[in-house]
Amino acid sequence: MPEPIIEVNDLRVDFPSEDGTVHAIRGVHFDLFPHEVFGIVGESGSGKSVTSLALIGLLAKSATATGSIKLNGEELLGKSEKELTPYRGKTIAMIFQDPMTSLNPVYTIGWQITEAIQAHQSVSKEDAKKEAVRLLEAAGISQAENRMESYPHEFSGGMRQRAVIAIAMANSPQVILADEPTTALDVTVQAQVLDTLKVALRETQASLVLITHDLGVIAGLADRVAVMYAGRIVETGTVEDLFYRTAMPYTHGLLGSIPSVDDTGQERLRQIPGAPPTMVGDVQGCPFAPRCPLRQATCFEVEPELVKVTNSESSAFHTSACHFANDVTLMPAASMFTDTSSADESEKTI
Amino acid sequence: MSTTDASSTPLLEVSDLVVHFQKGGGFFSRKGKTTIHAVCGVNFTVNEGETLGLVGESGCGKTTTGRAILQLEKATSGSVKLNGLELTTLDREEMKHIRRNLQVVFQDPFGSLDPKMTVGRSIAEPLEIHKEWDKATGNDRVGEVLNLVGLNPKFAARFPNELSGGQRQRIGIARALIMEPKMLILDEPVSALDVSVQAGVVNLLADLQDRLGISYLFVAHDLSVVRHVSDRVAVMYLGKIVEIGDKVEIYSAPQHPYTQALLSAAPLADPIKERRRKHIILTGDVPSAAAPPSGCRFRTRCWKAQDICASEEPALKIQNGGHQVACHFPEAVEVL
Repeated sequence: MPEPIIEVNDLRVDFPSEDGTVHAIRGVHFDLFPHEVFGIVGESGSGKSVTSLALIGLLAKSATATGSIKLNGEELLGKSEKELTPYRGKTIAMIFQDPMTSLNPVYTIGWQITEAIQAHQSVSKEDAKKEAVRLLEAAGISQAENRMESYPHEFSGGMRQRAVIAIAMANSPQVILADEPTTALDVTVQAQVLDTLKVALRETQASLVLITHDLGVIAGLADRVAVMYAGRIVETGTVEDLFYRTAMPYTHGLLGSIPSVDDTGQERLRQIPGAPPTMVGDVQGCPFAPRCPLRQATCFEVEPELVKVTNSESSAFHTSACHFANDVTLMPAASMFTDTSSADESEKTI
Repeated sequence: MSTTDASSTPLLEVSDLVVHFQKGGGFFSRKGKTTIHAVCGVNFTVNEGETLGLVGESGCGKTTTGRAILQLEKATSGSVKLNGLELTTLDREEMKHIRRNLQVVFQDPFGSLDPKMTVGRSIAEPLEIHKEWDKATGNDRVGEVLNLVGLNPKFAARFPNELSGGQRQRIGIARALIMEPKMLILDEPVSALDVSVQAGVVNLLADLQDRLGISYLFVAHDLSVVRHVSDRVAVMYLGKIVEIGDKVEIYSAPQHPYTQALLSAAPLADPIKERRRKHIILTGDVPSAAAPPSGCRFRTRCWKAQDICASEEPALKIQNGGHQVACHFPEAVEVL
């Protein structure tokens, strides 16, 4: 197996709040290998975005992060802003949900790409400009030469995100970090941008960390996936492991709750009862236990560790944080979250 | 088109609906006024107990269509009939009476609930407006609708900020239901919710329709949710319906190139299928609604476009297969 580019070990991030300390990330481990697409999925508040911000040192000042994030063997956590500058945009490039997070409204698109190139490479302005035009073309923007003079507000949402991808490609990074890159876009525009992202991966040979709530986007693009819940990875594996040999009830719930565009039946959607826990204070037992159809007494006492799934078809990467992981892989999805009534019982009893 | 016999009129009938907006032309504007052609001659019906899904991307006019039906937007021309009664010519007071049968649920229930009012008062407000609030039975009616949307009647005493997104959307639905309407316009009712919460609201809407026989106009951009909830589906592009019909036909044998592109772009949450299928990647952006292309509005991005597409606008008419398509070269293609 190749050496990982990024190794994350026991990453923990806390935020102070009026109600007490929020444990946004509670011990996350993963490796990112060369040339792979690693997806991180989860719902609001699961910690997926905080994980990505921690990777590039963009956490709020009030946050405390512990654990380890190594890039090519070098520890990033604890480095100052100044020490991180050589990595940002060079080794690790970033794409956010809102392209205007990355673009400056008062400079032309061409200026911004040229600047990104010259920030990390010693090339002449002329050459940088030529390269910028080439990158815009590669990102699928027609009449790139003319578009160099445009300002971000003259671009549509999809074009702006492509311009951001062009900037991400500029310094041939080893890692591209994309946090919900297509969430704000219409579906046909999303298809265009995902296509551009694939071009960028081919061209730069970078690995992609793809953070999204959309399991369809993951199904199409990711090699490996991690599912996050309540600040931890609760299941990880290849996409096939996750979609076809699901080993964690929460993943089952997520997959069952989305209607499929090719689903012909009039089956009811499976809904997960209740709501995720607030991340204030300590968690005892499995954080998913109150919503889990398989819970036992032990689930409320011991938080399960992420351990290897021993299902014969599972890949070596398949792990699950469930006391009954192997049983879950054998269960048909439909039997897991049986929907008893329209009324959400847990909401009724609150 | 409809499944009901010819003698019964559809519950909602929208004919040649046109909504134009004037934009610009202000004191500081260097240009004159421009006209935004938001909705340009839309026709459809919704029968009793039926769900019509209205899909399309940002700016296609689906939300404006919904608002024009509710008379929240003035129709430039055309007709909207509820139970055979023309709504576009009614005054405010007359429209108020109609609203009891024609209610709406918006995307963001936080925006539509008064933060200083308890949930119970918000739900009861329509009763007060229609002068039907009765001290003796009012609270029971509020409790009943709360039960109907799967919430404990005790929620009546809470304030909106104490509720989760899913609970707020249930309150929004309860509020729309208290007048026992015949027709609900649902404008992106689940798109702001996390998927696991979204499933609960989608199931709830299906249950309510089964129990109460309400009709829905389900306006949304999410093709999979629309497929799940609808009986029939209309696809909009730049102010026009390009294809409308039974949902099975629209999804399994779409005939309009735009419908095909739209469906092919919707990712499937199944890695093997998703990687095997062909994706149609459209080039360019949607043209401006201020200056829509001549002829077929999709022609500037269509791979099948010929000269006729620029000179002649294709009418929405029944094609092989039985549903209506507005294309000079319709052809059923499987894209899922």
